[in-house]
Amino acid sequence: MPNKDNRFINQEGKVLMLGNEAVVRGCLEAGIGYVAQYPGTPTSDIGETFQKILREQPDLREYLVHHWAINEAVASSECAGAAWTGCRALNPMKHVGLNVASDALSVIALNGPNPGAMVIVVGADPGSLGSHQEQNERFYTWMLHFPCFEPHTPQECKDFTKLAFELSEKYDTVFEIRTSTRSAHSRGFVELEPIKKGKVKGQFERNIPKYNSLPPYAINNHIRLYERIEKIRENIPELGINRIISGSNKIGIITSGMPFGYTMEALNQLNLNDVPVLKLGMIYPLNYGEITNFIKNLDTVVIIEELEPFLEVKIGEIAQKEGIQTKIIGKKYFPKHNEFSTGLIATNLAKIFDKTPRIEMNNAIEYFNSYKEIIPSRFPTFCAGCPERATLYAILKATNHLENTVVCGDIGCFVMSFFPPQESSDLIICMSGGLSAAIGMSTKTDQKVVAFIGDSTFLHTGMAPLAEAVGYNSNVLLFIFENSWTAMTGHQDDVLRFLINQGFSIEKICKSIGVPWLHVEDSYNPKHLISSIEEALEEKGLKVIIIRRECALQAHRWRMQQIRKIEVEGKKVQRTYYHITGCQMCYECARILSCPAIRKTEEDGYETMKIDDDRCVRCGVCYEICPNTAIHKSIIDALEVEVPFREI
Amino acid sequence: MKFSETDIINTVIAGTAGQGVITLKRLIEFAAQKANVDIILGSEMHGLAQREGAITSHTRYQKKAFNDPRKNLQSPLICYGDADLFICLEPVETLRRGVFASHKTSFVINKRTIPGVMITADLEEYPSLEKIKEILHGYSEQVYMMNATELSLNHFNQNQQVNLIMLGFAIATGKLPFIELEHYEEVIKEWLRNPDYNIKALHIGLEEGQKIIKNS
Repeated sequence: MPNKDNRFINQEGKVLMLGNEAVVRGCLEAGIGYVAQYPGTPTSDIGETFQKILREQPDLREYLVHHWAINEAVASSECAGAAWTGCRALNPMKHVGLNVASDALSVIALNGPNPGAMVIVVGADPGSLGSHQEQNERFYTWMLHFPCFEPHTPQECKDFTKLAFELSEKYDTVFEIRTSTRSAHSRGFVELEPIKKGKVKGQFERNIPKYNSLPPYAINNHIRLYERIEKIRENIPELGINRIISGSNKIGIITSGMPFGYTMEALNQLNLNDVPVLKLGMIYPLNYGEITNFIKNLDTVVIIEELEPFLEVKIGEIAQKEGIQTKIIGKKYFPKHNEFSTGLIATNLAKIFDKTPRIEMNNAIEYFNSYKEIIPSRFPTFCAGCPERATLYAILKATNHLENTVVCGDIGCFVMSFFPPQESSDLIICMSGGLSAAIGMSTKTDQKVVAFIGDSTFLHTGMAPLAEAVGYNSNVLLFIFENSWTAMTGHQDDVLRFLINQGFSIEKICKSIGVPWLHVEDSYNPKHLISSIEEALEEKGLKVIIIRRECALQAHRWRMQQIRKIEVEGKKVQRTYYHITGCQMCYECARILSCPAIRKTEEDGYETMKIDDDRCVRCGVCYEICPNTAIHKSIIDALEVEVPFREI
Repeated sequence: MKFSETDIINTVIAGTAGQGVITLKRLIEFAAQKANVDIILGSEMHGLAQREGAITSHTRYQKKAFNDPRKNLQSPLICYGDADLFICLEPVETLRRGVFASHKTSFVINKRTIPGVMITADLEEYPSLEKIKEILHGYSEQVYMMNATELSLNHFNQNQQVNLIMLGFAIATGKLPFIELEHYEEVIKEWLRNPDYNIKALHIGLEEGQKIIKNS
């Protein structure tokens, strides 16, 4: 394995990069000085790549600062602060992160990032591949006026990022790079250019009208923002960022980003190689002349874009203003939901151009549909040993399978609670939306109201609704999962970790804010937890149970490392095994706890549950809960060193 | 099957979280770079899919680009029915991605099953390997299975070499043209821990794979 990733060191050459890596490379070539973000798919690995580079090349710390911010709005304001000293700042976020950041960004856009530059990267997620929904966040670019580039290849990810910084500084305007789950995680060739050192230190120059978008300056800054956007709009053709693939057909296509690739391959499949295509690298603002020249001699222009019609509306507006009669179609044929594919575009273009789609494609779809019922489902689920899974088990037991009980879920690994077989979460809104919903709901129902939150989300936006729940003494039972990691996004070395290392305690925060009923529990001790839940549900007012147990993935990794270390020293380690004999097939472990390390098998002609030893992490919860004491624990080399899970 | 240098080579890699799907995909792409391939595009899944979920990646390359860009590889995703090769680290995941297969597809499949949570809860049924094979034969004759997990455990005392064994198996089909064995070996040395283990695993997969393909 290389000690250093040369793709972020070399000054020239052709390398393979993911879209996100190319964004990072573009930043390095643009002279980046500051990066702040809250992790979220598909942009988390931008921050992970910066962290890796800073580890491998500590010299860069002289001018490059990377922060895992506490939430997206904080990250955006951090970047603005850094830019206002004259440096170039990058602010990545996922599409729903932009909802959180928009409060800050709406003002930063008015003020402008000068004397520095600020670029946001927004990772869209058509198809909801790594998010709780697939909102079309492109309308923000129009609402808040971020000129927006949409790259298609890793090369464009790099080139557009670099250009965005130049233009952001030149026009005193926040620029956006809009990636998607596909473009962020597609790999392709990137031509490298020299890396430029960022600014080490700058200076904030006082300028009250520019940095105070309040009356009377709010209106002036709004006017100034329009002036900046109009200048950018005029100059788009000079950027060479939009391109035309020419053709003589009277039906043309306008598209951008990932759908461009699918469209070109679909056209080739249908032998429609005379169709003119305008590929927009910049989706907001649009240059009137560029669009007019492309569409005015066509009979029809087809707009191919994922999710709600954004380009179709903006291009329709231009056509109407310029008095162009060309027919504009898009969402009449293409869905407003889900991710596109070459097959979907080929099918719809075949209708528009009156062609027959390839027989191989239709056969593949038809044959797949003939057997797909037989494919067993594979939901994402909690890892073996997950303390959240064990908590859900305890809740199911304490409430007689959620009888007269509502569970307000939240974002975190436990977002998966609604999946079968546990099906133990009733609703989901957004980061810390569960507790907020519970506060309202508890005043209007006599059902028992339970809410979830994780420790990272607690820091993100969770303390505010907790304060309200204390203030009104809401009749809610809140579970705070203190697993000491931002686990769902991949265990980043983030501010939660820094706080933990400095002695941060959710228990202390709850006490000082005045939580009236507070228990700290370990879900690896399910019986104790069940009685604690039963007690809580008898009480009126706010109850908080903190589940303090490290994320099982990290805990298991740490434990295995310790064991290997001890064994390398030539010492023996105590080994624990769980095994099943005398199984009554009650399914308590497989359906209610639903541990993925336990499965049904046959032994000597009898059905029994069996523990997969290579998947079991030795949490011992199944052993604790088996109603028939059929799960047994064996300790081998009992006199040797014991390596338990670490305390957090 | 003979490939021409301008053909687009399409591979689907499927499995479950933690099996090394993404590593396998990267090795093919970096090896294709060593083989001086003109265009490489591939798409992988990160994030949510990690939690025991189903993972799929597409990787595509074209040795020589056409002068007319309209005919070239432009998208990291394969179109329905267009895969030349399926590398499947878990049997039922082959069926889940079947929509990308056709009569030209070769399937290499690891026999070790990983039941999803609905299977372990005994609420759904996992189809037999025979049934999976029978369905896949509806696409093409080239359906090959190997117990790569067992081979990895026997040779290396761990299951971490499964993906490299499966890569060797895939190479044996001839459906990754223009990339030579030494290109993979170079990349393994550059990017992976334990390169000796992994190169050995690649060779085991290749040799066992050649036997399986010859005998079927």
